[in-house]
Amino acid sequence: MAEKPITGEKKAFMTGNEVVAWAALCAGVDIMYGYPITPQNEIMHYWTRLVPKHGRKFMQTEDEISAGFTTLGGVMAGKKAFTATAGPGNVLMQESMTMAEMMRIPSVVVVQQRGGPSTATVIYAQQEVTMTTLGGNGEGFRVVYSTANHQELFDYTIKSFNTAWKYRFPTFILGDGYQAKMRDSVVMYDPEERGIQMVPTEPFVGKPGCPGQDRAPTHLRNTYNIEEELEEVVLQYLADYKKMAPEIVEYETFATEEDCDILLVSHGIVSRAALAAVKTLREQGMKVGYFRPITLRPFPVKELQKEASKVGKILVAESALGQFNRLVKEALYGMDKAPQIVELFRPGVGITDEEIMKKTKEVL
Amino acid sequence: MRIVEAYIGEYASGKSEVAVNRAVFLAREKRKITIVDLDLVEPCYTLRRLKKLLNEQGIEVIAWETEELLGLGETGALLHPSMRWALQKSGDIILDIGYGVYGAKVLNLLEGAASDPDLRIYAVINLGRSMTSTKEEVLEYLRTLGRVDGLINNSHLGEQTSKNFLEQASEIMEEVSEIVAIPIIATTVTEEMAAYLSKSYTHPIWPLQRYMHNSFW
Repeated sequence: MAEKPITGEKKAFMTGNEVVAWAALCAGVDIMYGYPITPQNEIMHYWTRLVPKHGRKFMQTEDEISAGFTTLGGVMAGKKAFTATAGPGNVLMQESMTMAEMMRIPSVVVVQQRGGPSTATVIYAQQEVTMTTLGGNGEGFRVVYSTANHQELFDYTIKSFNTAWKYRFPTFILGDGYQAKMRDSVVMYDPEERGIQMVPTEPFVGKPGCPGQDRAPTHLRNTYNIEEELEEVVLQYLADYKKMAPEIVEYETFATEEDCDILLVSHGIVSRAALAAVKTLREQGMKVGYFRPITLRPFPVKELQKEASKVGKILVAESALGQFNRLVKEALYGMDKAPQIVELFRPGVGITDEEIMKKTKEVL
Repeated sequence: MRIVEAYIGEYASGKSEVAVNRAVFLAREKRKITIVDLDLVEPCYTLRRLKKLLNEQGIEVIAWETEELLGLGETGALLHPSMRWALQKSGDIILDIGYGVYGAKVLNLLEGAASDPDLRIYAVINLGRSMTSTKEEVLEYLRTLGRVDGLINNSHLGEQTSKNFLEQASEIMEEVSEIVAIPIIATTVTEEMAAYLSKSYTHPIWPLQRYMHNSFW
């Protein structure tokens, strides 16, 4: 067994992409499959620099279709594997990741969102929410963590391997190019030293024993003969997903125990601006609360409804044209009295705390 | 004596921040100064946003305007003619060799770089960066760089910078400097860090003001 890459704590000044590479290292990743696309390239650059020092592996594939499928292959061979992509690369990975949904393969993909549709811009947006949460021709049996800062990129990259291998749904870290490239200090650690039990991997193929005698035959399938067979499988997955959801759903609130006239709802890096806005507005005497889902899938439905039931208005801020808002609206459906939604959509553009404060003041 | 300095280094080591501060310092000394953005990977993200601020301080900035670029995204970057011929300009020149991957090789694209007698290539090193955090790692990294005339100790851990860290960093840099026989040109220090400096350095201290957070990152 190779030495641990980090003992104790290691403080460093890094870019988000590097944090992901180091987190994968600390999580015990065996292999990364990768194909370049801005703004996640540095995940590969740093992973490949770490690989020779720590006895791990890397494979560059011919495109993202292959990167997605080779990752699934690595996982099925029992390796802790992951890949990373963005924008058009994420589009190409929908085929493989939908297969992961159908076959319950514990894949991990880091998505550093860039502008869309298509090639658009290379650095930033929050325009891959729909695709990452509900992409492909699946039913959304995915886990998606939307991180907001470097420490979370580290913590959740490690967590995503455990979530994936424990519950067997394809798991995604949804970051963006600003998180990928901004510089910040971060505290890295060995997860087991912090009491985080790493879920072991196991191969799907080549299992010991004689099939049919010592164990059931291994039948790995992503296709069924008739419609009713599929329905049974999908409904079983739904039951598994619903059972898992309360165990892994994560969210953050601020100032919601106090009286609120409006709730600011956002995710990812925009939530940093929203939190700063809420703190400043509270100091100015305004009754504003903050809600941030950390898991976009499964979405914290109950929790959002609870906070939303206390306010007449919610402000949804995102760097997209309502992709996150769509998840919010679905979550609010069924409430006796759903709040009015105020939209602050900046497709492909960052949102500052000043812009959020200005909009909040306009509508209150 | 004409000052021509190229700042190279690991990704996010502080090349642009140091280059900008150097330009500002030279401008304050009433020197004619041009700073050239040679980030050929992220051309819109480094010095472009600081252009106006730097122009106001009497610094000429050679960097792309977004309207001039065709939106090639990551498919490729263009070298502006004024970048290619930058060394022909009179006065001092600061070259910010962005993105770091190729070290000083980008200088191969500049006319006259190979023969310019005033050109000095400085490697900016931050011991707080995970790939250059020990003496061995810094030495290994320096071996990949090709020609280096001087070292800049830009060690810090952002908000987590501590006195202990700064002292250890400077000790390591001094050892490295001796081993590779390349002088430490300066240690850069922000106002907050200045409070932690207890030892006296044998090389200059360059005070650093943060400009790059007004850029993108």
